[in-house]
Amino acid sequence: MHLNEEQLILHHYHDDDAPAAAEQHLAACAECREQYQTLRAVLALVSEAPVPERGPEYGTEVWNSLRWKLGRQPRVRRGVWIPAVAAAAVLAIVFVAGAWWHSRNARQQSVIASTTSTAATQVAATSLNTAAQGDRFLVLVVSDHLDSTERMLLEVANADPKKSLDTSSRQKRAEELVASNRIFRQTATQRGDARIASVLSDIEPVLLELSHAGNNLSAEELSSLQKRIEARGLLFKVRVVSAKTGETELPPTSKGTNSL
Amino acid sequence: MSDAAAVSRARTGDADAFRLLVERHSPMIFRVAWRMTANEQDADDVVQEAFLRAYRQLDAFEDRANFSTWLHRIAVNCALDLLRARKRADSRYGGDPEAAELTGALPGSEPQQDRLLISSEMKDAVAAAMERLSGNERTAFMLRHFEGMPVEEIGKTLGIQVNAAKHTIFRAVRKLRDSLEPLVRTNQCT
Repeated sequence: MHLNEEQLILHHYHDDDAPAAAEQHLAACAECREQYQTLRAVLALVSEAPVPERGPEYGTEVWNSLRWKLGRQPRVRRGVWIPAVAAAAVLAIVFVAGAWWHSRNARQQSVIASTTSTAATQVAATSLNTAAQGDRFLVLVVSDHLDSTERMLLEVANADPKKSLDTSSRQKRAEELVASNRIFRQTATQRGDARIASVLSDIEPVLLELSHAGNNLSAEELSSLQKRIEARGLLFKVRVVSAKTGETELPPTSKGTNSL
Repeated sequence: MSDAAAVSRARTGDADAFRLLVERHSPMIFRVAWRMTANEQDADDVVQEAFLRAYRQLDAFEDRANFSTWLHRIAVNCALDLLRARKRADSRYGGDPEAAELTGALPGSEPQQDRLLISSEMKDAVAAAMERLSGNERTAFMLRHFEGMPVEEIGKTLGIQVNAAKHTIFRAVRKLRDSLEPLVRTNQCT
């Protein structure tokens, strides 16, 4: 009796119950031996599948993208936390002021622009500058918001799903995060940053649920929430966007940083 | 500087020491991530996330352990997290009927020993053959073939029974064999 394909696969991966018997059969049976050799050749070919090339500077590139994020860790550990609502309020004020300033400048400059072409260039420069400042500020505050959100999600994700979770100390934070999340999401949408808007939109329902949880999440509610966080990859998404906003926030510096 | 020494210094806040670890191990982590995700951008994201997690968990790293193996496991878990996050939306794998729940920590293993010289035509054929696998088949196969994960662990990782995990691997290997056997036979004849 020959070895079938499944037995050959099990044998190849050392998952068979009687490897010695299989070896004995393979030694004696040319047909099975040929099948086995073909299988091994196919799998060896797969092992040789090329991985896309990364240049010699890849490690440095990875480091340059990472270092800002690592640099934030001591600040996180010290527990310095900008209340999200305050940040959102500051953001809103700055944007309103920015819009007013931008509009005022545009009006003033448009008068000048009607007389000289140089002034038209200045209008464009002023507009771009204002927009760029707004974007940098958005990135800065959203980055802090994402850090706070990540910590909140981590607390929930790491809680024991068999026990209820005391959320009394988290409820207020969750409410603040929901409020700021909405503002950031709307702002990101208005500014056409779909990446940030999408992640903020994904995390909002979970924050809402936490803010409405009262003083306690039952084991069942906690487990359900953990599954949602996990199933949607929320922590991963937050970290990735956070990392990318961080790249914008703090461009990599030269070698020789001495502290994390 | 050895990995162990770099880890020790990184724990005290020496950024240059952690930088050394990142620069030294990034290519290896990228290869693992790419094999798991089959997407360069995803693999780059996994590399970043893996080092971030490693940094956060440096205190949990046991000095006697191998940093490379430890980091490798973290990277595989990051890749699994990403695949899980993408599972519903990603149609690259052609829709997988099996409900895969991807969790768990993984042991490392040596890659395959039988190596062949691979032509450009074969590279394309392998890529096409891998594309034919469903999401679960690809993940299960990658975990068994490249990561050496035991079938029981693969079952837990995918949220399926051991027997189902085994059959998922069988299906993956069968599909690969169907696609690649003619090439292999041609190669053997020449």
